[in-house]
Amino acid sequence: MRALVIDDSRAMRRIVSGILEGLGYETQQAGHGREGLDVLDGGWLPELVCVDWNMPVMDGLQFVSAVRSNPAWRSMTIMMVTSESEQTQIVKALAAGAHEYVIKPFTADAIRDKLALLGLLPQEASL
Amino acid sequence: MTATDTGERRRGSDARPLITDLIDEATVESIAQEAWVALVGEDEILVPLPGDAPVDPVSSWVDVVGPWTGSIVLTTGRRTAEELSRALLREASPEVLEEEDVVDAFGEIANVVGGNVKAALPGPSGLSLPEVGEAPAVRNPGDLCRIDVLWRGEPVSISVQGALPPLPTAP
Ligand SMILES: [Mg+2]
Repeated sequence: MRALVIDDSRAMRRIVSGILEGLGYETQQAGHGREGLDVLDGGWLPELVCVDWNMPVMDGLQFVSAVRSNPAWRSMTIMMVTSESEQTQIVKALAAGAHEYVIKPFTADAIRDKLALLGLLPQEASL
Repeated sequence: MTATDTGERRRGSDARPLITDLIDEATVESIAQEAWVALVGEDEILVPLPGDAPVDPVSSWVDVVGPWTGSIVLTTGRRTAEELSRALLREASPEVLEEEDVVDAFGEIANVVGGNVKAALPGPSGLSLPEVGEAPAVRNPGDLCRIDVLWRGEPVSISVQGALPPLPTAP
């Protein structure tokens, strides 16, 4: 399975990618929403996108809206991974088309549990 | 009905809340501790003890704009900020740490702590991208909630500070 990790912090991309790779994902990284769309436009289509909210150039909410406006990307699951933890913001992200919401700081187990609920644990990790 | 001062007037539209009415040190400390465990490492404990002021201080912060407006500022010594950045980058940590690595990692800690402090305040509020450099000045000592902790024996302070000067007091 493939996952695209979008966050403006390289340290945070490393943490999220490390967790997903540990679960058996193949990952790619992008530093903001626009870069993430470039990866998708390039034809690398993941099952899962983990996207931060606060980023320069294109933020996570704009990214979610852009992905959801393209029918070819409908099957992609989007998980917001962000320190933006106000209830109204969470509702906004889910309304825009995000499936799940993980608040920073998170543990590896929290990510794993969310993916299990979404049926997105690669086979070797779900054993 | 007798007129009792419920504080309602002071909380009226022309007043603005002070951070000390909205959050306490214990909440800030628990937010910071949770961030450290998740980002820096499982056994990374913050000890609530003030240390000497760092010699070569560097700060990272995010701004909150909303019913309360101000910044969440982390300050520590340059070497401690570098050590924190290495801890976050782990195996991806370069042999020679560049300034941008510190800006990235130390800034992201401010983003995580700041986002969670913001969630504890009345909203809705906006959160800025993190910045790293010389801390923004404290504009109003009465609009400040600050904790001092030690991480690996080195001083780290976290200050939640208002962006506005005190209101003029009535004559
Ligand atoms: Mg970010």
